[in-house]
Order: sequence, then C-alpha cells, then structure tokens
Amino acid sequence: MVEPPQIRMANDIAAQFRHRPPAEAAGEVAEHIRLFWEERMRADLLAQVAAAPEGDDGIDPIVIDAAALLRADAPGPTA
Amino acid sequence: MTARVFVPRDSAARSVGADEVAERIAAVAAARGIEVDLVRTGSRGMLWLEPLVEVETPQGRVGYGPVEPERVDGLIGEGMLDGTASGLGPVDELDWLRRQQRLTFARVGVVDPRSADDFERHGGMAGLRAALAMGPEAVVEAVVDSGLRGRGGAGFPAGIKWRTVAGAEADVKFVCCNADEGDSGTYADRMLMEGDPFTLLEGMAIAAYATGATEGFVYLRSEYPDAVVAMEAAIDAARARGWLGEHVLGSDLSFDVQVRVGAGAYICGEETAMLESLEGKRGQVRAKPPIPALEGLFGRPTVVNNVITLASVPWVLAHGAQAYAEHGVGRSRGTSVFQLAGNVKQGGIVETGFGVTLGELVEGFGGGTASGRPVRAVQVGGPLGAYLPVSRFDVAVGYEEMAAVGAMVGHGGVVVFDDTVDMSRMARFAMEFCAEESCGKCTPCRIGSVRGVEVIDKIRAGEDRDANLALLDDLCELMADGSLCAMGGLTPMPVRSAVEHFGEDFR
Amino acid sequence: MSLAKQPDLGTPARPGEATVSVTIDGISVDVAPGTSVMRAAATAGVDVPKLCATDSLEPFGSCRLCLVEIDGAKGTPASCTTPVSDGMVVRTQTDKVAKLRRGVMELYISDHPLDCLTCSANGDCELQDMAGVTGLREVRYGSGVDAGANHLDAPKDTSNPYFTFDGSKCIVCSRCVRACDEVQGTIALTVDGRGFASKIAAGSDVGFFDSDCVSCGACVQACPTATLQENTVIELGVPTRSVETTCAYCGVGCSFRAELRGDELVRMVPSKTGGANEGHSCVKGRFAFGYASHPDRVLEPMVRDSLAEEFRPVSWDEAISFTARRLLEIQGEHGRGSIGAITSSRCTNEEVYVVQKLVRAAFGNNNVDTCARVCHSPTGYGLKQTFGTSAGTQDFKSVAASDVIVVIGANPTDGHPVFASRMKRRLREGAKLIVIDPRRIDLVRTPHIEATHHLQLAPGTNVAVVNAMAHVAVTEGLVDTEFVAERCEGYDEWAEVIARPENSPEALEEVTGVPAAELRAAARLYATGGNSAIYYGLGVTEHSQGSTMVMGMANLAMATGNIGRDGVGVNPLRGQNNVQGSCDMGSFPHELPGYRHVSDDGVREVYEQLWGTPILDEPGLRIPNMFDAALDGSFRALFVQGEDIAQSDPNITHVHAALAALDLLVVQDLFVNETAKFAHVLLPGTSFLEKDGTFTNAERRINRVRPLMAPKTGKQEWEIVSEIAQAMGYPMHYDDAAQIMDEIALTTPTFAGVSHAKLDEVGSVQWPCNDAAPDGTPIMHVDGFVRGKGRFMETTYVPTRERSTRRFPLILTTGRILTQYNVGAQTRRTANVAWHGEDVLEIHPHDAEVRGISDGDRVSLASRAGETTLRARIADRMPVGVVYTTFHHPVTRANVVTTEYSDWATNCPEYKVTAVQVALLTAPAEVEQTADQVPVAGG
Repeated sequence: MVEPPQIRMANDIAAQFRHRPPAEAAGEVAEHIRLFWEERMRADLLAQVAAAPEGDDGIDPIVIDAAALLRADAPGPTA
Repeated sequence: MTARVFVPRDSAARSVGADEVAERIAAVAAARGIEVDLVRTGSRGMLWLEPLVEVETPQGRVGYGPVEPERVDGLIGEGMLDGTASGLGPVDELDWLRRQQRLTFARVGVVDPRSADDFERHGGMAGLRAALAMGPEAVVEAVVDSGLRGRGGAGFPAGIKWRTVAGAEADVKFVCCNADEGDSGTYADRMLMEGDPFTLLEGMAIAAYATGATEGFVYLRSEYPDAVVAMEAAIDAARARGWLGEHVLGSDLSFDVQVRVGAGAYICGEETAMLESLEGKRGQVRAKPPIPALEGLFGRPTVVNNVITLASVPWVLAHGAQAYAEHGVGRSRGTSVFQLAGNVKQGGIVETGFGVTLGELVEGFGGGTASGRPVRAVQVGGPLGAYLPVSRFDVAVGYEEMAAVGAMVGHGGVVVFDDTVDMSRMARFAMEFCAEESCGKCTPCRIGSVRGVEVIDKIRAGEDRDANLALLDDLCELMADGSLCAMGGLTPMPVRSAVEHFGEDFR
Repeated sequence: MSLAKQPDLGTPARPGEATVSVTIDGISVDVAPGTSVMRAAATAGVDVPKLCATDSLEPFGSCRLCLVEIDGAKGTPASCTTPVSDGMVVRTQTDKVAKLRRGVMELYISDHPLDCLTCSANGDCELQDMAGVTGLREVRYGSGVDAGANHLDAPKDTSNPYFTFDGSKCIVCSRCVRACDEVQGTIALTVDGRGFASKIAAGSDVGFFDSDCVSCGACVQACPTATLQENTVIELGVPTRSVETTCAYCGVGCSFRAELRGDELVRMVPSKTGGANEGHSCVKGRFAFGYASHPDRVLEPMVRDSLAEEFRPVSWDEAISFTARRLLEIQGEHGRGSIGAITSSRCTNEEVYVVQKLVRAAFGNNNVDTCARVCHSPTGYGLKQTFGTSAGTQDFKSVAASDVIVVIGANPTDGHPVFASRMKRRLREGAKLIVIDPRRIDLVRTPHIEATHHLQLAPGTNVAVVNAMAHVAVTEGLVDTEFVAERCEGYDEWAEVIARPENSPEALEEVTGVPAAELRAAARLYATGGNSAIYYGLGVTEHSQGSTMVMGMANLAMATGNIGRDGVGVNPLRGQNNVQGSCDMGSFPHELPGYRHVSDDGVREVYEQLWGTPILDEPGLRIPNMFDAALDGSFRALFVQGEDIAQSDPNITHVHAALAALDLLVVQDLFVNETAKFAHVLLPGTSFLEKDGTFTNAERRINRVRPLMAPKTGKQEWEIVSEIAQAMGYPMHYDDAAQIMDEIALTTPTFAGVSHAKLDEVGSVQWPCNDAAPDGTPIMHVDGFVRGKGRFMETTYVPTRERSTRRFPLILTTGRILTQYNVGAQTRRTANVAWHGEDVLEIHPHDAEVRGISDGDRVSLASRAGETTLRARIADRMPVGVVYTTFHHPVTRANVVTTEYSDWATNCPEYKVTAVQVALLTAPAEVEQTADQVPVAGG
C-alpha cells in the first residue's frame, strides 16, 4: 500500500505524540505542520483527510484532529 | 654423618664443568655409601679456581679447586668429603678473599640461591626490616648518607634519585632494575642474580618502600638464561614468604616484581632505552629531561638502578649508612665490585672499597697476565672505558679520581692486555662496537661511529695520517659532547685514551 | 602573494602564562613554564639551527644541531629538549657549539647525495639550509662512496600516488614517524633496524601504499628534505607563491596554504594557524584537488529545450536569459509557487545567500532548501528546540579537554579524519571512549586506543539507547541538579517520563540489542567521568527519529551538566565543507538567514526593506516535498546549485521520475553529474580554487576561501545568480563577494561582526560574532543558553516503520570511507580511486554463509524501493542481520534501494535503515555502467 506523501508524513509526526493526551497531541501536530509545511501541502492534507472515508485506518486519528485545528486557523500560519 | 658439599651452579662455573662435578660427587659418594648433602651455590668469584668445591668442616668450609670432573674420584678417595684431602684450605681464609670487603657479595657463593631460609639465616631481610621500622623518609636519607652512587656506570647518587621519585606525585610509581649487563668483561650483575637473587629483591623492596612505588621490573638480558631462572625462582619464593606482594612482611608496603627479558640490544642498558623497551617499544634512547625519576616507565616516576646498586642497599640499611660510608675514597663511598677479565691470571670478582689502586687490582689480585707477558694496557669500565697504561697503575679507583685521568669506573670491569695488543685495533674496535650497538637515534653516534671506523682504518692504512688523526679527534669531540646518551658520548674514551697513551700504534 | 615559509618555533607551545624569564644571546624573553630553550630563543628572534625539531612535534633531541651552552649547566645541552628555567642564560652562538654543529652537518653530508641542483627540494630543504647556517665548507670524510658506508642506493618507494619516498635522501630524523604517531595518530611508520642501518619503514616489508598509511601527508609535510616529497613538486618544481584558503571537502574546514607556480596549484599545505586543523590535513584535502582541473569540468554554459535534445553550448548571456525567461514563463503559467531552488553545502556562504535571495526576492516564494535536508536538518531542528541555536556547541579544540568522548553514529577516522586525529590524541592521553554504532568502526580499536564501551545497537534504535542512558542518569542520582535547576526548564516533566521502567536499559535491551549492564556502565561513565562530550554524525540524523535523537542527546548533556564549557557539549560532525554555512544563510524553506522563521514579521521587514520586495510569510517546499509536488504537477522548475540530487537522494527511482517531470531544471555544477542528465540548462560552476568567499565549518568557524585563479568559467557563481535575478526583473548586483558578506552581516545578528576584511585580519571567527562577542564564540551556551533556558524535550522512542521482513530480512546501513567523498564527483576524479575503486557490501559471515556468499562475490541488494548489485566483503564489523555499504560510486546506485521514509520533523531521509535482501548473483554480472553511462530516465 502506497500512502500519499502528506498522509505518510502527518502520520509520522502523529506517531511521535501518540503517548500524549489526544487533544495535546493534535495541537502539537498541527503546530508542527503550521511551522514547517508549505501551503499546498497543508491544503492537500486537509483535502485527503476530508476525502477519507469514516474510520479510514490509513490516517492516524491524531492527524484527523490536527487537520481540524489547521482547518480552523486558515488563512496563514502563526509562529 | 652427612657430608655437606658446596658446588657452584653459577653459569661461569657450569661452563667449566661444575654440573658434571656435582653429578660425579653424588655418584661416587653413593657408590661409597657416603651420605652427601650437595648444595648448589653461586660462585665465590675466583674464576681461576672454578669449579671450586667446598666442604663443610668444623674449621669452616674448606676448598678444592679447580676440580675437573675426572679428579672427583681421586679427591673423594683422598678424603675430600670430610675435608681431609689436601686442597685450598679454609676458603674464607684465602688471601684473595680476605683482602676484599665483601658487603654486597657477602652471600654470593656462600648461600643456596634457591633457599629463602638460607638467605635469611645469613642475614637476609635485615635491611628491609630495618627500613620498614624507620619510615620511608629516613630510608631515603640513609641511602643519601651512605654515599651510595649508581654502580651501572653513571655514578649518580642513588639517594638523591630516590628522593626525587619519593617527592613526585603519581597514581603509580615503579622500581626498575637495570640488569642488562652488556659490557664485555663484566659479570657482577649476573653473578649476584645467580648467587644471591633475594638480595636484589630486598633492595628493590626497600627502594619501593622509600619512594612509594608498587611495581618493580627486572630488565634482564636474554644472554643470561640462568639468571632469569634464578630471579624467577626467587620471586616465586619471595611471594610465598610474603616478601613481595600485598603487605610485605606485614607492613603497609605492597610491592611486586616481574622479570622482563630484553632482546639483546646493548643500548637497552641505557636507562631510557630500557624504559622504552619495557614499554614494548623499540629500544631507543629518550632525550632527558624529563628524567625517569619524574617521567619514567609509562610516564610515571621511576627508580632506575643497576643490580649492584640495588643489591647494596640491604647492607646499607642493615648496617647503617655510616658503616657503608666508612669504606671508599673521596666522594666515592662504599665498595665497588670489580670484575677482572681479559688476559689476567686470576680473574674474578673483587669487591673492595673505592680507593684501591689499579695496580693492586691488576697485579695484586689479578696476579698479572695469564700469558705471563708484561701488562701493557688495562681497560676499565667496559668497552667504552679508557685504556690506561701501566704508568697509571697508581691511580686510586674512584669516580672523580678516574675522571681526572680521562677514564671512568663504569660498571667495574677491568680488562687486562699484554704487550702484544695493537691499540689502534682496540680503538677501531671501540668505534665498531658503537656502530654495532648504536640505537641510531642521534647523528653523532649513528653516522659518527661508522665514520670513526673508516677514519681509523685510513689511519691504520697510513692514509693522510695527520689529517685523519685530526679528523678523528674532532669526531671524538663531537661524539663526546654532542651525543644524546653515554653510548656515543663515551665511545671516544677508549679511542682517545688509546691515541693518547699508545700513540705509537697509530703511526 | 609570494611564497613565505610558515615560521617554525621548533617545539610546541606550552600552556600557561609567560612567567619564566630567560636571556638568550643577551636578549630577555618571557615564556610559559615548560617551554623549550629552542622555542624561547625563536620567540626572542634567535633561530637555533635544527633538523629533527619542528613545532608540530614533541622534541626528540636526535639531530644534535641545536646544542647550546647554558651558564651553570654542564656540556652542550640540546635546546629542543631542554626546558627553560627562570633566570637561565643561554648562548646559542659560541665557538664550541659552532664546531659541534659543523661536525654534525659534516656527518650528514658524508651520507647524502650531492645533487642539490637537481633535487626536487632544492630551495625548500632544511638540510641545505643548515649546511649554509652552520658554515659547512668541507666534508673531510668525503661524500657517499668516498666516505665509505652510505645509503645512496636506498630504494625509492613510489607506491603512493601522491608522494614518493626516496630513502637515499633520508637523514633519519624521525619527523615522519613522529608526525604519523603524534599528529595523525595512525602509527603506520617506524624506524626499521638500528644504528647506521636505521631506515624509515611503513610497516614491515610493505610499501607505503599497502601499509596502514592513510596518506594524510603529515609525514611529507614534516620531512625536512626531499625524502618524502609530493609528486607534484617532483614534477613541477618548488612553488613560488601561496594563497591561504579553506578546504572544500568535509565539515572540518581545514585551512590550507595553496602553493602555486603561476596559476598552477603545486601543493596544498595545511596552515598551522588554521583554527580547525592547526597544521594537519587528510588525504582528500591535501592531495585530492586534481578534480578542479579535470578534463570533465564543464566550462561553458549549455542549454537544451528538451531532454531528448543534446546540450548546445551557448554564451553566458543566452544561458542566463534563457533561464530567466523560462522561469518567468513557468511561474506565469503555473503560479508563483511552481518554481524553487536547492542551495549547495559545497558553495560559499555568499553563493548560497544569493540563491536563497533569488528565491525569496525574485521568485517571490520560500521554495528554497539545501542538501542539509538530507544530512543534518535534524541537528538544526533538535538543537534549536533544546538549546536555541542550530549548531554544535564547541570548537574542535575543546576535545583536548574532554575526559569522556562519546561518538554516536559517526566514523570520524574516515569521515572527519583531521578532527579524528585530535580526538585520538586526547584518547591516547587517557580520555575514555564510548562508541554507539551498529558497526565496529576503526576507532573502537586502533593503535593505543580502545573504546571502554562499544554499544553495538540495532540500526534505528538510537532514541531507545539515549533514553536508557538518561534513565540511568536520572534514576541513579547522577543528574547535575544544580546545573539543571539554574540553567534548564522542563526537567521535572521529562525526568518523570524518562524514569519510567519502560525506558530502563533492561526493558529496552531486546529492542536495542545492547546489554543492559554495558549500557548502564556507559551511562555512568558519561555522567560521572568528568568532562563528557558527544560527537555525532549522520548515524544520528538520518533516521525516522533523527530530530528526536538530537534532542535526546541534548537532554542527556543538560541533565549531566555537560554543556557550556571546554571539553563538553553536543557536536555534529558535519559532512560538507559549508553545510553549517548553507543552513546559516537561510537555505531552509521556513527560515531566513540566522534561523529566523519566515512568519516573523520583524525579521521579514528587515529583508523587505533592504530587498525592496515583500517576502512570503509561509514556509516553502522542502526537497522531498518538491519531488512530490513535481510528480503531482504543481512544481515545474528547479534551480539546483552544486548538488547531485539524482544520485544522493533516497529512492532514486522516485527522484528521477520527479526530475523528469519538471519543465525546467537548471543545474549549476562542475561536472555533467547525474542530475544534469535531467537538466535543460547547465551553468558551469567554479571549484573552490576559483571561489572568493567564506565557508563555515562544523564548529561555526567562518573561514575565507580565496581565489587562486580567475574562474575557469569566466564567472563567479554568485554573479550568475545575480544576473538571473536581474534578467527576471529583480535588481540584484554585487561588486564582489565581500559586499554580499556585508549584506549578511547587516541583516543577520549572529554575523553582525563578520566581514571579509575582519577575516583577512584575524584568520577566522566562530559565530555568533557581533558587538556582544566581537572575537566570535568558540564555545556556546557558557553563561546561558541561546534560548534563555535549556529546554528538556520529551523523546519517546517510536520504532521506525522500516522493518526487516521475510522478504527483506536484513537491515542495510551506510557510511563513508576516508579516501572518497560523498557521491565522489570530486574524489573519483583524483588518484584517490587507487584506494577505493568501488563500493562493497559488508556482510556478516553468518549472513553470508546462509546465502552461499563468499568474499568478493557479486551480489544483488534489493529493497522494496529497488535493486542494485555490488561486490560482497565478508566482515564481522556489523552484527548479524545488518549489512553495510558506502555510497561513493554512482554505479553502486545505493539510493536505488533507500526508501521514502524520513525524519518526522525535518524529512531528513532515513538512509541508515533500509530493509533489504542480499542474494548471490549466479549469472555473470551485467556490464557495469560507468558513472557517465547511467541512463537518464528510469534508473
């Protein structure tokens, strides 16, 4: 199975925070993506997450929560 | 009654048949139903009497020698085993020994070198016991006060060296005994190690106690297999006795000794080259400073002393610095162990106070040449010592006294030549010896010695004699003043003394 | 500049104040205790004749030329081995010593060829100089054969491609042997035989090439005669002028005096005054410069409209206008973000700065990244998070004060040899060594050095190991509580997690493969052994948790108080000469120069004002993101400055597809590299011998790179970039590289005090260099961390997703070898290929046996990403289950097998862990492709 790159990378980030409470973890992932991801990558991630069927086990739940946070703060990142 | 018989196991005695003599005595005695207690000792150092057989009698030990194996039957038949056969008489009464002051060599030839008991019965360990009772500082001061100087050749005051090591801070310190006795015609180190090895260990333990060292090495040349065996046996016995190891004699002193066998390079007798070799490196001279007393083996403070120096220490401690210092002349205190060799009638060990004249050694003890021809030259202090003519036989042997005539005591070797010697050949030999044995580190020694041989060859061949003699003189000056160590530095001594005293051989 | 000799004070400096006063030939001089009489004399301006002494080596006392007279001392002591004492009165010129010195020279010359006029060292020979100085007028022994025994027939050893050993000219001063021992630490040379028969030998019965010699050239440099001589000097003659510059290989950044005849480089001599190397070098820096004049160099711009066409040489104007036009067209068609650039860690700070400026100001986006992405980007991230700055903490010299040295995922003796020599010197002095590496690198056991602990962990478990070490420190009471309380934050939360049983060495033993007891002992040694320093390499960063590991090491250093003074620290051993600099210069897509985030309005404003154009406040694409975007069609044009991404980046199949998808690829490079095969425009670059600017090494040291010659291409690289910007309508012009550095200094607080003029004056400085630290900053975080308090970061171990499977049961990891450099574009074009003609696959005897593989067999190496072939070498340096290769040769195609997995925080590729299978190739190997025959597409 080939993961789309943005999903793969977001999942990798999420894995680092999996031991944290889910809300905190999602916040960390969202913050990281804000600081280091280019706009079209973020957009792609949001689109992929949005398009994913409910319960898609290819996307880390933390990523789904992080995506929600990112969607909320458009446009532009904060530092 | 059991007959107590002493036959040396010293390698000099063995080389002339001592082992066969001992076997023969045992066999003949057994055949005759005589019970024999055969003790293998060191050598008394009267080499012309070896194999020297001694027998215990109520009058003391009487001697027979030289005893060739084939004479054993006859001598036993004549009553040798109860001392009634005619022979040398009581050995201790022999003039040759009576005229000596045997301090360091007191037990050599007397005791069984394999027996710690025998050693102790003859006064062994008294020095170390005295040392442990007086404290390390006092030991250092006693050695300073005794005036004991390095017997390896350099003559540096042992106590001063020890004081430096004692004062140095380090995690570990070493005592290294230089037993790389490479001078031709010298054998005192070997005889001591073969004849009384415990004394050396006792001396090393005293040095360790005085300086705070915990590990000792005896650096022994590979040409001395019997000495290696003797030292190793003594070390094992000493450990078993608690004379080495943790808490020596129940004291705070912990000290152990290992034997290391060199690879046969003369230069490893030079102390820094010896240290390099002990570290497993190529035996090459180190520049000083740093001095080994501060940065020696593995960079740690290290006592490096010759066998005779260390073996003299127990006597000093047992009898007091003053008693030792009473012997000697000028700034050369105590005794020196001379080794008479070469073309000499009565070769051997002469331990006597400094101040004895050369003449007394060569004529008095040595009895002149073995060939019966007139003595022409004597080389004192090993292959790098000066050649002196008979006209200098009045010199009292001491460090400063010898230096004043361009000579040295060295390790106490005295090699005698009769009037057939060609002194230009001897000068060439000195350069050749240096070329052969140079470690090659410094230029004057590495290239100079080779050029020295070539220049002397030109002189001997009559080529530009004056110019080449001048060149030889310049080369000698360069080697003497410019060499890194005593190897190159002393080579000019035999060369220049030969030219000076026997110039006719160069014309 | 004319050829000026570097002064030689004879013996090394001794530490301490100049408190000892001596008088030498009537001149008073104060020197530090322990200084030799010789050095004191040289300090006073009195040169004492010498041959065996040189100030890079401890005194030896063998030549006996430097004899002097000292009042009150007997004889004529050697001034090199005699230390000064207060009040000492020395006379260096007396009749006595003059005669002795002449005598010594007379002996030397009696065994030396009298061929000075035709000798390769004529004019550069200390023996010749000393014959003059001592007034030798006659050799009474005769010379050579006339004198007698001699070495005139001693054979030459020409086995080394770079230098020749001519035994007939040897004076046996042992400087070469001592240089090998003391400076390089390889201990390959020895003196064979003794006395007059003594001769220098490289091991027993082998020539230099087959010995342990690593060809660092220290012996050649140390040789006072023509005995050890660079072949270039033999061929070309003694150089006539010199230029001080900086090596362009690894991140050690050695300073060199390039010595030339006219425009021809004759030899590179490491500078004694070089802060990074202090007179030492390696085989690459000293000898492997021939690539710069290699016929493969591209010297003219070339253009083609499509990859189907051949390149056509064009004028600079045409190349630049073509490039600008195409960039603008593509941007017009596909949007501002459709183009970007990659900067090179091989180029100067100035060259890199203009490329990121081109992107930010002329392209109007932040799509700029640098090759550090694939090596040390996790260092930047991890150290910034914990300490507040993206750089190593120490200067190289610091290692001399270390008591415990930890080497993690680095192979300094191969990768950073000159620093390794410093490290080995300290280890020989008794510092303890801990190596954490799956492979038994040479440093684990090398002459006079043995690692106290080698933690041979499973690849990919770095974080587990560092956590376990921290666990030991925390749970065994080894934490420097005072340091932590005063200097750090976040400790309690971190310690609570790290102290949990799951982080104990015992719990992690199964994962890491490191015996718990050994790990505990190593942790205790690190925590309690005195000054402990960590040095690490790509074995730390090129992992899925590369950034986490960097933070883990920072945590450990903070917890044990090993930060902020001499001898400690956390130090990346950076791979490329200017990887530090290229990062400093704003090459990352989220950061402006000086590591300041693009979203920082204040920082942007500085540049917007100066550059007169708005700067995007959004991060741009990173290299792997560029490839992904190229494949999805949103990224269409790329400017690549001196980097061979088509060979060096992971999962090459994927990279090649991305490059092939671009509408425009502009490559600026010395050679037609792998990437150039996908390019439409080839802009010829300059070698370091032509560049003018600065490199910043791994210790943040900014060194000058000075042109030895005009650019062979006619243009400096920064000029090309400026002209492209101009042609795109953005005004960019600099008169010279110094002006660019002035702009960097003006806009970047950590560089505020840096200028070419200052560097020319002081040699080098370590940033930060500004009003607060006018002389630079050798050691960072001394009084406080750059970010204020050091921050403990949580570093939970997350296993990599790359696992061995039934299909790919082995783990491949990669590394370097001494004589080759990265993708080998330079070193493969030098005689260094003599040592490493091909990459081989090291495989454990057990793994080899079950596959029927013997030493030297050709094998296939396959991962889920691809397959390549190479030769096997049976070696037990790795544990069972791990294979290893280097990646210097394109034919190896090691990156065909590496995967898309990367560091979670920075996308640094996970080069160091790839699940693979190895199989014996039974059919004869296919025709091997040379570097230049690799097919353009597909790979």
